[in-house]
Amino acid sequence: MSEMMLNAFSSKIRFVIRYALGCWASLLLGLPAMGKFPEKPITVIVPFAAGGGSDVFVRIFQQAIRDNNLSPHPIVVKNLSGAGGTIGSRTAREAEPDGHTILCLHDGIYTAQHYGNADWGPSDFEPLAATGRSGVVIAVSGNSPFNSLGELMEEAVKSPYELVFGTNLGAPNHYSALFLQKGKPGAKFRFTQTGGGAKRLAQLKGGHIDLTGFSIAEYEQFKAAGIKALAVLSEERESSFPNLPTAKEQGVDSVHGIMQFWWAPKGTPPERLAYLENLLRETMATKTVQERLRNLHMDPVFEVGAPLRETISRRSANLRGIVIEKPTPLPPVEWIVVGVVVVCLVLVIKEGRKV
Amino acid sequence: MIELFSDPSILGLVLIGTILGITVGAVPGLTGTMLIALSLPLTFSMEPAAGLVLLVAMYVGAVSGGLISATLLRMPGTPAAVMTTLDGYPMAISGRPGRALGLGAGASLFGGLISWLALWQLSEPMADWSTKLGPFELFSLVVLALALLAGVGDSTRARGLLAGSLGVLVAMPGMHPATGELRWTLGMTSMNEGFRLIPVLIGMFAIGKILEDITGKGGTVEKVAGNDSAWIPLGTWQKQLANLFRSSGIGTLIGVLPGVGANIGSLAAYMAAKRASSKPEDFGKGSEDGIVASESANNATVGGALIPLIALGVPGSVIGAVLLGALIVHGLQPGPLLFRQNPDAVHAIIGTVLVANLMMYLIMVGCARWIAKLSFVPKKILFPLVASCCIWGAYALNGLWFDVVIMLLFGLLGWRMERAKLPLAAFVIGFVLAPVAEENLCAGLMASGGSYLPLLSRPISLCFLLAALFLLLWKKKGSAKKTY
Repeated sequence: MSEMMLNAFSSKIRFVIRYALGCWASLLLGLPAMGKFPEKPITVIVPFAAGGGSDVFVRIFQQAIRDNNLSPHPIVVKNLSGAGGTIGSRTAREAEPDGHTILCLHDGIYTAQHYGNADWGPSDFEPLAATGRSGVVIAVSGNSPFNSLGELMEEAVKSPYELVFGTNLGAPNHYSALFLQKGKPGAKFRFTQTGGGAKRLAQLKGGHIDLTGFSIAEYEQFKAAGIKALAVLSEERESSFPNLPTAKEQGVDSVHGIMQFWWAPKGTPPERLAYLENLLRETMATKTVQERLRNLHMDPVFEVGAPLRETISRRSANLRGIVIEKPTPLPPVEWIVVGVVVVCLVLVIKEGRKV
Repeated sequence: MIELFSDPSILGLVLIGTILGITVGAVPGLTGTMLIALSLPLTFSMEPAAGLVLLVAMYVGAVSGGLISATLLRMPGTPAAVMTTLDGYPMAISGRPGRALGLGAGASLFGGLISWLALWQLSEPMADWSTKLGPFELFSLVVLALALLAGVGDSTRARGLLAGSLGVLVAMPGMHPATGELRWTLGMTSMNEGFRLIPVLIGMFAIGKILEDITGKGGTVEKVAGNDSAWIPLGTWQKQLANLFRSSGIGTLIGVLPGVGANIGSLAAYMAAKRASSKPEDFGKGSEDGIVASESANNATVGGALIPLIALGVPGSVIGAVLLGALIVHGLQPGPLLFRQNPDAVHAIIGTVLVANLMMYLIMVGCARWIAKLSFVPKKILFPLVASCCIWGAYALNGLWFDVVIMLLFGLLGWRMERAKLPLAAFVIGFVLAPVAEENLCAGLMASGGSYLPLLSRPISLCFLLAALFLLLWKKKGSAKKTY
């Protein structure tokens, strides 16, 4: 009797499951049949960790698209961090070129290639748009003897390789420093690996590095911690910091800034590229994005098509004159570790014999 | 602050966050970082304070939840709980799972409270202190921690060091942590990032444990039995008071340092407790002191890691970095001015550390009886479940099957190491700390122009190195006495 009830019950469950599966399948089959792009959520690969600058930037766009109903499907942000952004950019490069996977990556896309961390670069993608530019500020600790970029660069010429510049080797931030060095013939810094903006602040404050570069947004965030800005590496003074002189004004011919770019895998159909370009343009024009970019002290530049391609090729061509000097010779840590393992192994074997 | 937390919806968020945190902390393969990163977009539409409350509660829950699986299954849900497996599991096996959970939960609460006090009252001086420690100091600190590995578990010194150095070796392939150059990747781009923590951790412990139990000789599968109370009488806590204060202090201090966080915190507190203990030989066999030290220290690192975040805008841990992003998304300017410009947000963060720790304790002790029943689930059902969680967790991390393969390979390695009596905890900690050590050593050398002198001329660094040397040599004499 109870078995019968159980049977009846389980057949009911089976029916429900089958029904649900049927609905799901028809949904899956039905959507592509409509033949419209996008058929499903668009995934934006962010090659940095959640919560970082690039992640926050993309999530502003995600929110603006959702709030303004600009796309029939939501935007999905996928954080693929690691190896200086090259893990994410590689995944995007190898993704299905159907427009459902795109990448948002700043100038790091060609600095990684120039530095030798990646053997692919801008030419392996279809550029979609540039959305926003951020200036770079050169800063020293509050108790630093230098009060202007001019003084500091004189010192860098007089005693080369003495001033320690904290960077993230191979990242755009490292190239800001290289451009700065190039702007004053004879000036040389000693570069050290420091990491992201927050780590550079801590080391600047602790006196472990002499100077470093911050994006305008980072500088705004950190300035009260007792750091001093010497110059901004823009063509003209930044509207948010009108009292901060440019490097050019101080006799150092260096201009550098960081731009955010959106990329699609090579081979994405042109009509889908056009759709995505348009989506980015509409998003860029929303109040949400404009307001948030202002908060981040970013220039709301927007470029697509020919001007965009021109910008990208100009920016990557700029790197050609930059020579990477090998940093201080470092110990072969990996072989030392092999040695330690062998020593420990011998100890363990000896111990085993004793027992 | 009191006003904020008298709002039932805020308390509800703390409760949800803590429960979710405990759950992901307990499930091998899911981590707090994953949960917080996934929940971040959900908080966009919330009030900033409410969003922060939810995320911080998740953080507290996730660090605490690792205790459950570490104790009952010997599978740490997070690296922070690795040290807890050493004593929690033996105690659970010996028929006292409730007591092990109760001790762990109580110690977690105590650690949380101490670090909350530091966060509330001492954040500015401690943040300033943390910037004094440069690359050389951090490198020496990690060397000290690696020297501590010699005494992990109940295995011999040489085996502890061998397991630790193997962990360091496994951390070598991939991008050089300082220069970004590739090494030992065998030309595979999937290897550019090296082996990732989660596949290695859950492979070694969870998959390794499953293999061990499946191949266990003639059904001698270890089983956690017993259903004792998780309520620990006050007298026990009184006896543990010195241990609690020492471990929580160590956890808070180390939690402040960027990148070293919970792992060194619990390791250092555990080893300090072992040295101070009257029964050091019990460590690794179900010592109450061991559980208390590890768990109070790892929860104390939460408050510690939030200190530089609030005082300077510098995250002290990966989760801290996600919280930093949350502040920015909500239009708050993290950094030294946060306290003055957005006191509400800061109070929300600080208050949540307190409230979430209290809730965590109530949940854990209240549910310990049911949680302990987890170990009565037949292994036939539990293992496939855990294995699929692991596979899913490893895959979900980055959507790469490569990580799943790595996890399975490390499962095999963990199983073989267990057989060879090499402590897995030492291996995992060596693996976690290696890149920190190398990055800091290389950064220091680049800044000093290749000179090693600052390692000895900077006083804090010298102290750490001397302590490491002392530990290695002192240990030698101690064990020499033991060989009869």
